[in-house]
Amino acid sequence: MTTPTQQKDEYAPWVRAMARALDGGDDDGLRAALAGFDQARNPEVTLQVRRVATDLQTALDRFRVDSKLIDLAQRQVPDARHRLAHVLRLTDDAAHRTMDLVEQCCPLADRLAREAERLLGLQEADESPQQLRLRVTAFLQQAGTGMAVVRSNLAEVLLAQGYQDLSGQIIRGVMTLVDELEEALGELVRIAGSDAAGRGGGSTLSGHGPVVPGINHGPAVGGQQDVDALLSDLGM
Amino acid sequence: MQQNLNFLVVDDFSTMRRIIKNLLHDLGYANVTEADDGNTALPLLKDGNFDFLITDWNMPGMPGLELLKLVRADARLGKMPVLMLTAEAKREQIVEAAQAGVSGYVIKPFTAATLKEKIDKIMAARAAA
Repeated sequence: MTTPTQQKDEYAPWVRAMARALDGGDDDGLRAALAGFDQARNPEVTLQVRRVATDLQTALDRFRVDSKLIDLAQRQVPDARHRLAHVLRLTDDAAHRTMDLVEQCCPLADRLAREAERLLGLQEADESPQQLRLRVTAFLQQAGTGMAVVRSNLAEVLLAQGYQDLSGQIIRGVMTLVDELEEALGELVRIAGSDAAGRGGGSTLSGHGPVVPGINHGPAVGGQQDVDALLSDLGM
Repeated sequence: MQQNLNFLVVDDFSTMRRIIKNLLHDLGYANVTEADDGNTALPLLKDGNFDFLITDWNMPGMPGLELLKLVRADARLGKMPVLMLTAEAKREQIVEAAQAGVSGYVIKPFTAATLKEKIDKIMAARAAA
């Protein structure tokens, strides 16, 4: 509680300022003096009003961030999950398709290599020219048919790499979403006034996944030679 | 002799299992079974008659390191050669795998020559033991 003397000391400068402003026709000065007088008269009310205004501003900010987060969490994150699952399917399909085609080519190449070796052997064994000519003709026919299949399979292997374009576009979209999510969460942390940066470290037991340039999970080996050297140091 | 070995290849990606299986075939190992994580591999190992385990580390369900530890803790499977074939390349992880009793460690991406060299080395060490 303020005493009457204290009140006089607090109000007096503002009353004098009002009088000066009135005498001088200074409207701005009068408004400022009135506001100052009012503030001096009701400091707690002013404080409360300020607090309510700040709370309201925070609530509005939070509502804006919450709405964004809700949209991200309810719609865009599940979308992103589906998109990434699609990328997984695309890469899986392309890898299997490529392996199918390569596996078809391998026996053809093996057969031709074996036949070529056999022909060379027959040539060295001085087989009759007629017999040799027949075998060479058969080999060339076989090579022609086999190479046509290999050529067609190689063209399909090239086409199968088309997944990279599609998956790249999808991954870029998901990266944009992650940026938005990061921004919204950062805003939420700012509103909450927390500077706690909790980091959930990956468990060693379940693994960290491949080394990704720019993401540091601690010292990693540079290749198989480093692994061998490390294991050798450990006595393996 | 070696060609009659029974391999179990554990990896959550079917493409990687297929690559390993093909490479093993090229090396003359025709008996290859597949599993997609430790949880499916362990019963196969316990019920089957496998001679060699090749496992990834990072898999949903049971990871490879846990599978390795369970294999080493099992009276019947304890001495089985286990080759870790993984993208996990942290020094502490390699040390941890070594401490858990891994027989060999190959990091992805790998070559056919590396896989052959490690398998040969492991088998040679077993023959000498």
